[in-house]
Amino acid sequence: MESAQHMLRTGRRGTLFEFSMALRDLAMSWDRRGLAWSLAWHDVVSRYRGSILGPFWITISMGLMVLGIGLLYARLFGISVAEFMPYVAMGIVFFGLMSGTINEGCETFVQARNMLSQTALPMFTFVWRTVLRNLINFAHHAVIIIAVIVVFGLWREMDLLPALGGLLLTVLNLSWISLLVAIASARFRDIPQFVMSVMQFAIFMTPVFWKPDAFPDRHAFLTLNPFYHMLTTIRAPLLGEQADGLSYIVLAIAAVLGWALTFSVFAVTRRRIVHYL
Amino acid sequence: MKSPEVSIAVTDLSLRFPVYGMDAKSLKKNLARVTVGGRLGSSNTGATEVTALSNISFNLRPGDRLGLVGHNGSGKTTLLRALSGAYEPDEGQIEVRGRIAALLDLSLGIDPSATGVDNIRLRGRIAGMSSKEIEDKMDEIAAFSGLGPFLAMPMKTYSAGMQARLAFAVATAVEADVLLMDEWISVGDAEFKKLAHRRLLNLVERAGILVLASHDTQLLRLYCNKVMRMEGGVASEVKDIRRIDELLAAA
Repeated sequence: MESAQHMLRTGRRGTLFEFSMALRDLAMSWDRRGLAWSLAWHDVVSRYRGSILGPFWITISMGLMVLGIGLLYARLFGISVAEFMPYVAMGIVFFGLMSGTINEGCETFVQARNMLSQTALPMFTFVWRTVLRNLINFAHHAVIIIAVIVVFGLWREMDLLPALGGLLLTVLNLSWISLLVAIASARFRDIPQFVMSVMQFAIFMTPVFWKPDAFPDRHAFLTLNPFYHMLTTIRAPLLGEQADGLSYIVLAIAAVLGWALTFSVFAVTRRRIVHYL
Repeated sequence: MKSPEVSIAVTDLSLRFPVYGMDAKSLKKNLARVTVGGRLGSSNTGATEVTALSNISFNLRPGDRLGLVGHNGSGKTTLLRALSGAYEPDEGQIEVRGRIAALLDLSLGIDPSATGVDNIRLRGRIAGMSSKEIEDKMDEIAAFSGLGPFLAMPMKTYSAGMQARLAFAVATAVEADVLLMDEWISVGDAEFKKLAHRRLLNLVERAGILVLASHDTQLLRLYCNKVMRMEGGVASEVKDIRRIDELLAAA
């Protein structure tokens, strides 16, 4: 089923060869990007089949959380609602994208077991499927962000370009993390539980619901948290603030190193993954 | 579709399955192994390996219809999966030229809660068809399945036979040069069986090469012109189908 109509499969021929095969898999997934998109779209459609609002149900529940936490915490912390509500709204929506992509990454290969064990479909197709599915869901939840931008008049001072840059860097990082946990989860069945606990922990450790004003700038508690950098590079520009340039640099370096590491792991384990399942 | 380039070349193919026991699959065990050093190590070194295929070599050219015979667990399905590109060889190599269609599992990529039409699209995409190709073939697939208005209904409302009809119609709509089959597919009621049979024959005729694993020697005699016997992951030579009895008697 390879588009080249020529399939060559061989035994191990050294590390370099494994890397070239992994690259080939990646290139093949690009040639068949339509398939990844179809699968992702189908996932979203089939999960919410028969429901009228579909993924908007999650949007509504997020919206409720935003409203509740926005009003309550603004009062508890003594911050104005106009300042806190957009802050927390963006925090919840963007963090939802992060935890969704990483948590569902655990299922990437396990779920595709049938297809992987009897077709030559590129493995990366399934990685993109997970990432794209979460981006589709995110596009629904973006309604909340648009709503707070309009209601609180943020459009007057927001800076769209750096926010989009932050989003791009975030998605680049989420993709490699998603692939890494996908491989690990295929091999070790404890990983999904572990990842879930980490993400649950991370939502409280990351300034999603609270403002990091209590910390001095660049406090280790923040700078060592990758989710802080992801969140702040997207959120701050939308709130009309400037995100620390350091965060963009950290994300760019993490993306390069993370992809190098994950791609190496993939290259080495690629031919074994189907047997893990 | 038949081109002289279509070919399968398998050289010294060996394939081993690591069996990751439920114990080895738990991270704790692996961590425990690291911390307590050699104590657990000797009995728990990770995966046991099962040799599923060893040293298999053969070549197929256009027009070859290879039948695979052998007991359960002799490696027939594993060989088909390796030919489909899903399993990577541990040693040796497999080279396939031409579009491969593996009809190993009819229900592959079928979503019971989606409608018939959606399933045709999804399955078509998985089989490597573009959206345009699928839309072009939609009418033909729909007509062949004979499901008419039911195609707009979710597949879970179908009877088992109706599901099989649709799955079969989509799976066999592909244009392939190399066709891999695990048992001759036979689905539906008597009337549909006849139709399905004709369609499958048609597909086989269009394909350059067929590899069919089956226990039914009658069937193999009917569809194949060559035969190979598998036993414990070792393959015999490829022989003319007329010598199938000889090959089976050699056991």
